[in-house]
Amino acid sequence: MIDLAAPQRQSVLAIVFLAVRLIRRLGFTQLALVAFFVIRGAADGRLVLLVTAAAILLGAASTLAWWRYTFRLVGDELVVTKGVVRVERLTIPFDRIQSVSIDQELLHRLTGLVKVMVDTAGSSAAEFTIDAVERPVAEELQRQTLTAGAGRATPRLGSDADGPTAESLGHVVFRHDSQRLLLAALTSPPWTALVVLGPIVAFGSQFGGSVPSIDPGPFRWWWIPILATAFLLLSLVLNLASVLLQHWDLTLRSEPSVLRRTSGLLSRTSRASSPRRVQATSTSQNPLQHRAGLRTVALSSIGDGDLTLIGCDDAQVDVVHRLAGSAPPSLLMLDRRVERDEVWLAVRNASIVAGLISLAAWFAIGWWSLLVLLVVPWRWMTSARHVRTFRWSLDEQFATRSHVIMRFTNQASLHKANGVRITQSIFERRRGLGRVHLDTAAGTVAVGMIPIDDARTVRDVVLHAAETSRRDWM
Amino acid sequence: MMDAVVPATPPPDDPTGTPFTNRAIPIEALPRLDDDAFDSVDPRYLRGWLIVFGVGVVATVLTGVIVAALVEVPAVPLVIAAGVIALLAVTSAYTVVETRRLGYQLREHDVSLRSGVINHRVATIPFARVQHVTVSRSAFERMLGLATVQVNSAGPDIAIPGLDADHADRIKQLVTERAGIDDERTGAAGPGDDPFASPPRPNSAGTGTESLESPQIGR
Repeated sequence: MIDLAAPQRQSVLAIVFLAVRLIRRLGFTQLALVAFFVIRGAADGRLVLLVTAAAILLGAASTLAWWRYTFRLVGDELVVTKGVVRVERLTIPFDRIQSVSIDQELLHRLTGLVKVMVDTAGSSAAEFTIDAVERPVAEELQRQTLTAGAGRATPRLGSDADGPTAESLGHVVFRHDSQRLLLAALTSPPWTALVVLGPIVAFGSQFGGSVPSIDPGPFRWWWIPILATAFLLLSLVLNLASVLLQHWDLTLRSEPSVLRRTSGLLSRTSRASSPRRVQATSTSQNPLQHRAGLRTVALSSIGDGDLTLIGCDDAQVDVVHRLAGSAPPSLLMLDRRVERDEVWLAVRNASIVAGLISLAAWFAIGWWSLLVLLVVPWRWMTSARHVRTFRWSLDEQFATRSHVIMRFTNQASLHKANGVRITQSIFERRRGLGRVHLDTAAGTVAVGMIPIDDARTVRDVVLHAAETSRRDWM
Repeated sequence: MMDAVVPATPPPDDPTGTPFTNRAIPIEALPRLDDDAFDSVDPRYLRGWLIVFGVGVVATVLTGVIVAALVEVPAVPLVIAAGVIALLAVTSAYTVVETRRLGYQLREHDVSLRSGVINHRVATIPFARVQHVTVSRSAFERMLGLATVQVNSAGPDIAIPGLDADHADRIKQLVTERAGIDDERTGAAGPGDDPFASPPRPNSAGTGTESLESPQIGR
């Protein structure tokens, strides 16, 4: 076993990352200006000398920063010492650590090192980052901080005698094979293609001078199916590349009090979070994924420790929820509905907005502006479907399920509530309706358009659970 | 009205050794948050705002008159001044309604804030989830002897403005104490009692070594 009780130093490669961080702190704009003057006055020997001196200074500062940056485990605390001019000592009790992520970017992969990011509830981003360290050290750090933080019996720090046990290694909950990932890629929405093609379509004309132009000639109707097919093919290829790069060998491991997700082809990412720190869970499924029987599961934790698992079948979704201490969606008794007034509200609001836009656009495009009004029947259809399919329930969990085009479930245990809100718009007040929000430390589950008495009852039940439950919420 | 019943508490894995019971609690037996029993903020808060608006109106009138006397077309500055005064009148009317709606309620285990004019809101934070409490006093509030109490949780926050400064300190003290008590009461029994329970949870979400015996909430 690696002795983390002794001060650990990062790999020498970390000097490069520290130098980049130092440059970022100085500001890219200022450096770009300096670079500009260096290029302009390349003949000026003094300037070159100045830049060389700055580079040497940067290297020295980075090396010193690397030398001063140490981390170790002292009792139940992670102690980090860093700083060149002002030495900073950061002490983080294990029970404050929300997640420990291990990333392996391309440069790390080439050198066999990893990056560790430690996240606490006190910050929205990672509390601190260890830029480059050997994987066994990172994994041991992740294991010890999270298992001890979750309150389980932890192997004695620095004890080499026992070695890792079967329990400490945990077990694989599931691993997505290439066939599953292929299916997940084929059923993913074409966001990657839109992200790539959007700017090209929007700003393509700006590059007219540098890109050889093709005269398209007059419009032909058969362009539409050809362009649609080309877009679909491109989106499939990009989805495939995106899914394979990010989710290759997606594995969920259940270790003592820790859920660990690892994936990635070029850059291998390992993210671990304690199940008791999961505040809310959600699933999403588009029509294609519904046909393929796959869903995406998201476990929301405080800070940066969310776990997102794509391409899960129903059994895997249930297992993940159980491991996160949440009721499996298939067992939820979602039997409550929302009021139909939501349809009237949606149609009224859409009519007002579409009417105003249509009126404004009429001066520019004439009668074509009436096409904007098509949004009204669309809103009527979608809101009517939402009312027809939306269900919610309240027992030990506050859960919702909606299905207009995408299918979503959201749920949070009542004892995780950090607050409860009831809101009422003028429309809702006139009809005796209200909206109740259960706010956790990592997301909100809300139900609107329900009788205000029901909303108040939900609030009282949630408050009772949060104020009397002895279970850990964080 | 919902016919749900409350999940029986304490849960089956209660580490305190309390005999396990599982009686259904009728929903009517739950303590209800009375939406009509909120305390109003200090009247000085509204008076202060009205004085600010009054000063604004006087300043606008004076400026309008002076500028009108100096320019060739006096109607323009007067119309602008009238517009500003109308805006101030609407804002002050809104502030009156908003302040009358603003209210807070402290119960044994939670704090609530009622607010909003167009959209009504009632937000509640259980004391056991409070991370820290702050009392702040802007220059405007210092002049009026008022303060704002901000109750922060890991999720939503509540800010109660327009409180008497002494009252605000007492509320902060109360929330701080209750947060410590409720955190101990609802927290796990501790590692000594239950090998699977987590250590006592401090009230602050940041890093440090605070303990429940000396809660560090409140600054």
